[in-house]
Amino acid sequence: MESLYLLIPIALLFCAIGIRLLLWAIGSGQYDDLDKEAWRILADEEPSPPADKTDGQESR
Amino acid sequence: MNAPPEPAAQAAECTCYHCGEPVPPGIDIHVTIDGVDQAMCCPGCQAVAGLICASGLDSFYRQRTAFNERYEPGDKLRRQEFAVYDDPQVAARFCRDSGDRVEAELLVGGMNCAACTWLIERSLSALPGVEQARVNLQQGRLELRYDPAQLRASDIFAHLDALGYSARPFHQAARRELQTEEMRDDLRRLGVAALGMMQVGMFAIALHAGDIQGMQAHYTDLLRWGSLPLATFVVLYSARPFFSTAWRHLRRGALVMDLPVALAIGLAFAASTWATLSGSGQVYFDSVVMFTFFLLLGRYLEKRARMRNDLPWQEAEDTLPAAVPVLRDGQWQSTPRVHLCAGDTILLRAGTAVPVDACVLDGDSAVREDAFSGEHRPRDVAPGDTVFAGTVNLQANLQARALGGYADSRLAALQACVEQAGGHKPALVRLADRVAAGFTAGILLLATATALAWWQIDPQRALWVTLSVLVISCPCALALAMPAALASAAAALRRRGILVRGEDALETLPRCTHLLFDKTGTLTRGELAVARCLPLDALDESRILALAAALQQHSTHPLAAAFLQWRPARNVTAVRQVPGAGLQAQLEGEEWRMGSAAFCREIAPTLPPPPQDELLWVALVRAGVPLAWIGLSDPLRPECAAVTGRARQWGLALELLTGDSSARASRLAAQLGFDSVRVGQSPQQKEQRVAQLQAGGAQVCMIGDGLNDAPVLARADTSMAVAGATDLARTQADFVILRGGLDKVLEALQLTRRCRRVVWQNIAWALTYNACAIPLAAMGLVPPWAAALGMSLSSLLVVANSLRLNTGKPGGS
Repeated sequence: MESLYLLIPIALLFCAIGIRLLLWAIGSGQYDDLDKEAWRILADEEPSPPADKTDGQESR
Repeated sequence: MNAPPEPAAQAAECTCYHCGEPVPPGIDIHVTIDGVDQAMCCPGCQAVAGLICASGLDSFYRQRTAFNERYEPGDKLRRQEFAVYDDPQVAARFCRDSGDRVEAELLVGGMNCAACTWLIERSLSALPGVEQARVNLQQGRLELRYDPAQLRASDIFAHLDALGYSARPFHQAARRELQTEEMRDDLRRLGVAALGMMQVGMFAIALHAGDIQGMQAHYTDLLRWGSLPLATFVVLYSARPFFSTAWRHLRRGALVMDLPVALAIGLAFAASTWATLSGSGQVYFDSVVMFTFFLLLGRYLEKRARMRNDLPWQEAEDTLPAAVPVLRDGQWQSTPRVHLCAGDTILLRAGTAVPVDACVLDGDSAVREDAFSGEHRPRDVAPGDTVFAGTVNLQANLQARALGGYADSRLAALQACVEQAGGHKPALVRLADRVAAGFTAGILLLATATALAWWQIDPQRALWVTLSVLVISCPCALALAMPAALASAAAALRRRGILVRGEDALETLPRCTHLLFDKTGTLTRGELAVARCLPLDALDESRILALAAALQQHSTHPLAAAFLQWRPARNVTAVRQVPGAGLQAQLEGEEWRMGSAAFCREIAPTLPPPPQDELLWVALVRAGVPLAWIGLSDPLRPECAAVTGRARQWGLALELLTGDSSARASRLAAQLGFDSVRVGQSPQQKEQRVAQLQAGGAQVCMIGDGLNDAPVLARADTSMAVAGATDLARTQADFVILRGGLDKVLEALQLTRRCRRVVWQNIAWALTYNACAIPLAAMGLVPPWAAALGMSLSSLLVVANSLRLNTGKPGGS
């Protein structure tokens, strides 16, 4: 059970990393339009005639 | 997400596959989509659907979750207007030009579901020169990067228009950025609370298990110390808005729902921290963090439901043309409207909006002034007459002298009136806040009583028992009662085609006592239709209407739209529009005319006078032979009588406020059972009438559509803009009906009444829970695990009850 003294700080560290990542993702605009992103994953098929462009890049 | 429309079922009832509106009788047009012939309601929808399929984007129809907006065709001049966006000065307002790349931001109207964003992005990306097209659905905004050498700005506008979406330059970036940042902040707080809740919750389960089974003290301490930093961060970061709101209102002496919330969070956190530091007592970190998360979630969802309904804010000024031809040194030069000054000679092209108030110098035409009067019938103008900014010049080019800039115009005065009226809107004391005031006082009283009682019984335990009373009384379910129900109701209304925009609209609507209607465009369709056809010669009715349609098909006059549904006769040539009089054309070597009696009598002197009727009569004649009188009117929406009947049954007072002063308005009001009617009302008079009713204690709901209704929509306790309303009216209304008729008004009323009942049920349940739990806590019988469990269960019950609002079939009819 002594391992708890190591594991709990590690859990806290992971939690801190998670929070940091989330804040970064929100700040970079990845959550600005939840309606579209939820739907986008269903619509990855290419249109039937030759499409010469790939779909918009999401990174900014 | 919205339920997808069921195209197969819809087609059986013969609705348009594109926009979902019923196909009018006699229309038989189809587009082959995915190998199936689908019915279309109008050539506009046909053109849009055809374009989508021709570009190979027909999977759009499989993906969409809402119908498109009906495409309004026939406005050819709208396309010419796009050319002004190529003007560098105008373009500079919404484009950033970096030499070989232009970044433009546009507002796109008519996007109803996520598939629309896909369609727009795909379809624009296929245009030569477009590098990147990104659509933000929530904000209705399109960001575009393109190569100006290959593409002009006007092409983009024209392309979006052809797809059936309306596009406007976007230049209120500051306000939108602010809103985006606010939503991001809310999401950050929510996310931090969620992560914190998970981690603290895990520690808490171990602690609770330890409480029951027994645990060595140093492990308990370890878990408490582990929870402390996370809970501290959540309280300081995520829960800060509760503290700041509560404090802000407290300083003004107002007790709001955030006060008991802040008290519960603050005290429970302080007590738990003290317990951790001193190694005694009980910790409630899990309750604190969970409470913060639940509340933030409820409020975030409510806010998002409303933000989704936020319409692109538009000033009346944005509807005016951006560039105007001005006479400078004997030549017409396209000048940005903002540079116009009094005395400039300007050219008003037929079919465009008048940019500033101006005095006509040369030319005859007619202007549509529905912005001010709500009346769609045009007014004839001749040299010497004044035309007003925001009205539409219909028939012929006019030369005019500008009387001043936008700020001096009558339209600016109307806009100012709207803003002022909005400021006078009665403030609402939210139901939750009224409950909160009593609740806070009650809790503080109980806590004091508990403390005093335990001081007598066992001073050692007094502090901890009192704190547990405060934690148990934590009004989680109570504070969730409103936002959960409101978010659910907003989603339900949205599914039914009604957007809720006003913050308090859902609370105000069920209380309304007076329903005020506008006439033109609200009770009526707002467009002319053929009501009667009176043949004067051997020709039968269908032939007459076909000939009339042939003459009218090139006209920009609003009455031409009444003839769109007939197939035009062939062989009509040399159609000419005579401003203020009518149309003339050649058919089989003879001259034909259609228009006013005087104009037609010039070639057919035997034309009898029109019947004595309130209809708008138009004559059709051939040289020497009168053929027919055609009577036009603005028909009543078919559901009107049913709607007014139901509203009266529900005990609402009905009143008609109209700019129209004809006898028809009064007759309609009597026929539909209105309690009172006021005709010939200016926008200011309408607003005064609402103020007068409000002063008498009435709660007023105004239903309107036009620019001239905007001030009264802003002033009324609640307001609704019907389908097809102007943008300014929509931005002022609390409810915007996207599709469907007046029956949506009753549907909204019914749903908000149900919403109110659910809120009361939620509040009643939350108070019952507290009433049961607090005595137990006061007796010192509630351990932390029971507190956490009770709190989450009671909150979940409130949420589940609220979700009931969004069940059942939308439409209901």
